[in-house]
Amino acid sequence: MANLNIDSVKDRTFDAIVIGSGMSGGWAAKELTGKGLKTLMLERGRDVKHIKDYPTTNMYPWEFEHRGEMPMAVQEANPIVNRCYAFHEDAAHFFVKDKEHPYVQDKPFDWIRGYQVGGKSLLWARQTQRWSDFDFEGPSRDGFAVDWPIRYKDIAPWYSYVEKFAGISGNKDGLAELPDGEFLPAFPLNSVESYFSKHVKNKYGRHVISARCAHLSKPNQIHLDQGRAQCQERILCQRGCPFGGYFSANSSTIPWALKSGNLTLRPFSVVQSIIYDEKKGKATGVRIVDTNTKETIEYFANIIFVNAAALNTNLILLNSTSHRFPNGLGNDSGVLGKYVAFHNYSAHISAQYDGLLEWTTDGRNPAGGGYIPRFRNIHKQETDFLRGYASGFSAYRRQQRSWDGVGGSLKENLVKDNLGPWSVGSHMMGETIPKEASYVALDAKLKDDWGVPLLKISVDYDDNDEKMKKDYIEQLTEMFTSAGFTNIKAESDHRAPGLDIHEMGGARMGNDPKTSVLNKWNQLHAVNNVFVTDGACMTSTSCQNPSLTYMALTARAVDHAVSEMNKGNI
Amino acid sequence: MLKPFTNMHRRTAIKNLALIIGGAALLPSCVHDSGQASVKLKNIDINADQEKLIGDMAETIIPKTNTPGAKDLQLHLFVLKMVDDCCTKKDQQDFMTGMEQFNDLVKKRYSVSFSQCNVKQREQTLLSIEQDGKDAKSTAYPAKLKTFYGIVKGQTVNGYTTSKYFMTKQVVYELVPGRYNAFYPVKKKQAV
Repeated sequence: MANLNIDSVKDRTFDAIVIGSGMSGGWAAKELTGKGLKTLMLERGRDVKHIKDYPTTNMYPWEFEHRGEMPMAVQEANPIVNRCYAFHEDAAHFFVKDKEHPYVQDKPFDWIRGYQVGGKSLLWARQTQRWSDFDFEGPSRDGFAVDWPIRYKDIAPWYSYVEKFAGISGNKDGLAELPDGEFLPAFPLNSVESYFSKHVKNKYGRHVISARCAHLSKPNQIHLDQGRAQCQERILCQRGCPFGGYFSANSSTIPWALKSGNLTLRPFSVVQSIIYDEKKGKATGVRIVDTNTKETIEYFANIIFVNAAALNTNLILLNSTSHRFPNGLGNDSGVLGKYVAFHNYSAHISAQYDGLLEWTTDGRNPAGGGYIPRFRNIHKQETDFLRGYASGFSAYRRQQRSWDGVGGSLKENLVKDNLGPWSVGSHMMGETIPKEASYVALDAKLKDDWGVPLLKISVDYDDNDEKMKKDYIEQLTEMFTSAGFTNIKAESDHRAPGLDIHEMGGARMGNDPKTSVLNKWNQLHAVNNVFVTDGACMTSTSCQNPSLTYMALTARAVDHAVSEMNKGNI
Repeated sequence: MLKPFTNMHRRTAIKNLALIIGGAALLPSCVHDSGQASVKLKNIDINADQEKLIGDMAETIIPKTNTPGAKDLQLHLFVLKMVDDCCTKKDQQDFMTGMEQFNDLVKKRYSVSFSQCNVKQREQTLLSIEQDGKDAKSTAYPAKLKTFYGIVKGQTVNGYTTSKYFMTKQVVYELVPGRYNAFYPVKKKQAV
């Protein structure tokens, strides 16, 4: 019996454990296994194997029962996830339904989740921009949150490292506020996007660049080695890509890690807590519930990476209590769960352009068009709000076929070529300021099906967000007007935070253990063998899309963790 | 509650597709006998006469010409499926009420049912409702009748323009474009 137990413990012991299999968890697994560590990856949802488990990927529009539309019963049962732009008949199976994992909205928050191997990396919008020192120095310059413990030079080589593997398309634009990376060829701007780019550069000194995105515009050997192929411009990415044309954990990091022979992937494993050993003064493993058998099982490892997605990472740390850490693992400072922030996506603007009618486009642009890097408050404070916003910008033409009337003439109109003028559009991506008042916490009473307290979310906009939104609308309206666009319509949609799917913070990095949870290596100040490298680690949000930064921080943290382990410090 | 999009769903989709393709052959054997609609509905109660009405309206909207029409493509069954699955309860109720109002209107105007009207009468009826629907203030037709017509019209055209026939024979839908030409002269014919 005793021997059996010893064997059983041995079977449940690994060099490293990664909690979560999405954007950052996939990277942690790839890096750890690549350095020879026997690694256990825990995923709370089901397995999704590349290609095999993309049931809709090759379906034609007419093969969908409701031609893409979600049945009303599903919409009504899922008011939260139904608000997500990608929740349609072709990808609904990759989203968590509202009842599957409830949470408490102290304030309205649309928590959009993907509980499966690959997580939301299957579903992301694939926009990838580096941060610059204008971002890392933001909190200290503008006096909010705490100073980032790293600067651009610390992460730059790691951006390069992950970019080369993931495959990022883009141009070297030479902008200090948006550093260049290791790029595959960019998807070019079309005629109107190029026109607008030249116009705003001449008139405002602002930039409209080809959106940088994680698509293999021209794969290198390293991408072919992953079994991925050139992006085929389908723009059906949310279904999972049979070509591996965009980066996802499913198509890239996880199969790579599995190929090493060092990865054990365990789906259906909800992590309840991280086990802390008071005598050893470190974490020794994690406690999971198998969602099929409802069995509680403990796994052990020397290094633990927490990549459960920002808010669930907070949940796990908060729920990992011990005599030493009564308020959550590594929470000596009391800031765990606090200073949660997001991106303000609540404004967009559309218009029409009647010029350049000799041009249109052919095929589809996976990058989505142009990107306007932040142009506010970069070198110094110049507005009545802190920080700034990036903006999407795209132009397109559609066949405008009339649905009027009935009979033979209607049938003719439905196939008659009638190319409309250019439609142009932009959406706001605003930095928000992390505040102590924006927090997540464990609900005192309610628990989920696995005995874990429900997460209570209390995150809101503030005056800075309102002022910034007003400025976005004013500036883009002016830029559109001066470019000769007409029929300009700005809209503020009053969406709840969360729908941006860029929630960040709660376990922020910082130099001072009294005011932050993680050090400059994404290591818990107080528990040096636990690392957090997903959105939870973010000290501030910048306005760039965050995934690329999570990838780079993860690869950097693994490198540090393994080097510390080899020195005997972990 | 939505189940994951499993192979079962895919099979259902393919089966529906087969039904659409082979629909004309299937129809005579499955309509009328029971007085029930030939498509399985969960939320709305449609009898064979009502199904015939939707079929005749759809055929008036997308008639058979030298190319297939609504009945060939089973668009009326698509309309009913969409009303049943994708409309709110209120729209479903208005759809049913509006359908009765529509029947009454046609009876009053032509003394026969819609199915017994000639093509010209059918077209004029639908066009006059459509015209009235464009004027939000007009009360020439009851609101629910206009809702009913709007749903039948919209879903018939939706079903038509997203049908396999239309997307392979009338316009070319490309699942795998394999290209993005950012500057493309308008004179050349684009794919969709």
